[in-house]
Amino acid sequence: MSSVLKKPNDRIDETLFTLAEYDARAAELGGYSNYSYWRSTWQVFLKNRVAFALLIIILVLLFFTVIQPYLPNQKLPNEIYLDPATKMQLRNHPPDAEYWFGTNSIGQDLWARIWSGTRTSLYIGVVVGFLTALIGIIVGAIWGYVRKLEHLFTEIYNIFDNIPTTVILVLLTYIMRPSLSTLIFAMCITGWLTVARQIRNLIVIIRDQEYNLASRCLGTSTARVITKNLLPYLVSVIMLRIALAIPIAIGMEVFLTYIGLGLPVDIPSLGNLINEGRLVMMSPSLRYQLFFPAIVLSVITISFYVMGNAFGDAADPRNHV
Amino acid sequence: MEAPVSILSVKDLVIRFNLRGKTLTAIREASMELYKGESLAIVGESGSGKSVFTKAFMGLLDKNGWIDSGSILYKGKDLARYKTEKDWLKIRGKEIAMVFQDPMTSLNPLKTVGKQVQEAIELHQGLKGEAAKHAVVSILTDVGISEPEKRYNQYPFEFSGGMRQRVVIAIAIACRPEVLICDEPTTALDVTIQAQILQLLKSLQEKYNLTIIYITHDLGVVAHVADRVAVMYAGDIVEIGTSEDIFFDPQHPYTWALLSSLPQLGEKGEPLYTIYGTPPNLFKEIKGDAFAPRNPKALKIDFVHRPPYFDVSETHKAKTWLLDPRAPKVERPKSIEAIRAKWEVV
Amino acid sequence: MLKYSLKRILQSALTLFIVVTVVFLLMRLMPEEGYFGVGSDKLDHVQKENILRSYGLRDPMHIQLKNFYIRLLRGDMGTSIIYRPKVPVSVILKGKVYYSLYLGLASIGVSLVFGIGLGILMSQYKGKLWDKLGTVYIVVINAVPAAVYYLFIQLYTTEWFKLPILFDVDKPVSWILPIVSMSLGSMAGYAMWMRRYMVDELNKDYIRLARAKGLKNSAVMVRHVMRNAFVPMAQYLPTSILLTIAGSLYIEYLYSIPGMGGLLIDAIQRQDNPLVQALVLIYSAVSIIGLFMGDLLMALCDPRIKLEHQGGSR
Repeated sequence: MSSVLKKPNDRIDETLFTLAEYDARAAELGGYSNYSYWRSTWQVFLKNRVAFALLIIILVLLFFTVIQPYLPNQKLPNEIYLDPATKMQLRNHPPDAEYWFGTNSIGQDLWARIWSGTRTSLYIGVVVGFLTALIGIIVGAIWGYVRKLEHLFTEIYNIFDNIPTTVILVLLTYIMRPSLSTLIFAMCITGWLTVARQIRNLIVIIRDQEYNLASRCLGTSTARVITKNLLPYLVSVIMLRIALAIPIAIGMEVFLTYIGLGLPVDIPSLGNLINEGRLVMMSPSLRYQLFFPAIVLSVITISFYVMGNAFGDAADPRNHV
Repeated sequence: MEAPVSILSVKDLVIRFNLRGKTLTAIREASMELYKGESLAIVGESGSGKSVFTKAFMGLLDKNGWIDSGSILYKGKDLARYKTEKDWLKIRGKEIAMVFQDPMTSLNPLKTVGKQVQEAIELHQGLKGEAAKHAVVSILTDVGISEPEKRYNQYPFEFSGGMRQRVVIAIAIACRPEVLICDEPTTALDVTIQAQILQLLKSLQEKYNLTIIYITHDLGVVAHVADRVAVMYAGDIVEIGTSEDIFFDPQHPYTWALLSSLPQLGEKGEPLYTIYGTPPNLFKEIKGDAFAPRNPKALKIDFVHRPPYFDVSETHKAKTWLLDPRAPKVERPKSIEAIRAKWEVV
Repeated sequence: MLKYSLKRILQSALTLFIVVTVVFLLMRLMPEEGYFGVGSDKLDHVQKENILRSYGLRDPMHIQLKNFYIRLLRGDMGTSIIYRPKVPVSVILKGKVYYSLYLGLASIGVSLVFGIGLGILMSQYKGKLWDKLGTVYIVVINAVPAAVYYLFIQLYTTEWFKLPILFDVDKPVSWILPIVSMSLGSMAGYAMWMRRYMVDELNKDYIRLARAKGLKNSAVMVRHVMRNAFVPMAQYLPTSILLTIAGSLYIEYLYSIPGMGGLLIDAIQRQDNPLVQALVLIYSAVSIIGLFMGDLLMALCDPRIKLEHQGGSR
């Protein structure tokens, strides 16, 4: 509280009643701003401690998935292990020091299978996420920017949007016979539409935003408009898409495996593993075969989902202080 | 002429907000009197705190804001002490009503206009059903809406901006308030409509014996409607007086700067006057007079001690050290001396 | 309103036509084994060709398309080969439609009621316990694939609550798990929408005006906020129909409910092409109709669309 004088006429230095020097710069001090988009995004993201913790978990997980095969004492995912004593297949062996997650019904090491499966699922998710983002951005950008094509594209979109993606997914996989590339292809076909729409909405909003008009009036080159005004939005959209594509891709893969259209058994995937676990889940002693893949899957999907959304929120300038 | 009766008396009000962990002091010991039947205008730049100030009279502050100290005396009660919704329901509408700035967003887009006005009537006039509907139609006529029966069933998007504002005014009047607060009622409207709305408010004021507070940054509006004017800067009312006092005899350097900015006072061929700098950062505590850094004619004491109110006349006072007997004589800018002569133009 | 409905009907019809044609064309690419039935390895090349020709699969494409539509309009969706040989698809479906319909409608109803309720609860206690719990629920349901949590629900609730694992027509209580499981996904969607909407609306000017009128907080919430919230809810309805269809494929299989979803899975696993084809068509049609109804519902609730026909896209 600046001093409120009790008795205005007492105790004021008479010399204060003279003109002060005018400092023009001091007049400007109220309005200083050192805003930087990416720094604010990062700061807001950090404030969300849960998301940050999950980011750490994901990074650790990713790192581990990649280096796991090179660690000492790791088993091969497809090799069937034999009980040294009986020379029989080591079926349904519960977790112990040798086989950390136990073995499945034909004697394969679950630990190795799970990490291999995680690699496959992550691979699918990243590829699908990236490709759908790419296609979606190209289509969406044209859709949003080229006004002449806008009406046509919107009508096409409305038609495609009505088609149930799950059914198409099922159909495509049925026709093309399940394989890694089929899966990726089918997911891309059904996934790019949403991205295109999001990008197009963004572009329409941004294109007509007055700050872009203002930039152009000032003579800013198109390239600079794109990089400074549009790109930050796009980058955050792309990252969000990839982050969310992973749980979605895993989900679709599990679903397809479930109805018999999943990956062949010699390619371990989280979907396969869950399915194998499902077959034995009724007997409590064998439930570990369901738990371990389910837990790993849940951790991955939840982490990516939360982190992706948290990043999307942080990238929204309205949430910047 | 009877002595004016004060119905609302604000003393040293302090309002603070919590913004993401930091505290902003939006209103800094502002004081004001409101007299029955008058039109008081509160003028100031964007961000000076005009809206926040009046929202506090109705308990409509955002959730992250609170009244820190000071009093708002209305009919013997201190509104600054009101905490519960029950308390505020006695004031809102019934005693004090508000007209918002943007008629586009003030109305519920999914309800008919008639229903929205009727809501206010049913709440405050105790009418229901057919009787209430009649009252709606009659009040729509009052505010100048033609074919009110037809309009009753229409949605806000079928109205133009000016018409929507009339509806909002109708809703406010339907509450039969003592005090009507108009927060920039014409800012979002065309110039041609502005005059109509102001005229409407004036006639409603006579008909319903209202006391009106106009919040505006448009001095032209002030000149047309206001009996008294309060000048606000950085959360404080720095000068208050009758229209004549403020326009013809301003005392605070900020008021001078504000008036100098009137485009009508510009000389042909000369650049228009602008106030250099920006308003102060309200997150930080302000030492002395808030306007001092932007005031070329500031005294040293302006940076040290905050000026109290000095009386210029019975009706007029200002918070500036220039009115202290020990202060040197500082000339008002020549341009605003010319206001009296150019009065018709303003 | 009428004009808008007609426009949407035409759009939907067009979509349906395109989808059906596309599906038809894709179907021509289906593995040919699906047409030969059991004992296909015992047939020689000539016999296989004869069979394919009898299905009209060797005719030129446009003739096939024409015949296809003619048959469709007559209600003939082909004959099953493997699942129930020589039985027309329409007969097979008749018995199953009821189960899927009941399951679907019931779960949509449940998810609407509980989802909206949860959303309102979460917005009222924003930041507090209910909101946090609700958020955890929504996150888990959205992130973890339905396949996984369906399994766990089946596994554990049957133990804890002694509910039947498989569906049995004679035991009404065996409906509970399938309906609840299926509604979880949509419920999360509704809750999220509702909560976000209510929080967003609370900051709008017209709500402030309603308060300034002197309206009680509870009246503001019900009469203005909630009533307005239902409009975008209608927008979400079609998505939840799609989700329900997807879920039904799973749930029916998991709980052995003799509905169309389980049928599709069976048909796929046994490679019964005509059956797969017919089911895909039906599901597409249902989705398109569902979407159309959702748009119609939204138009009914929002007078702006009715009168200005701004077709808001989902």
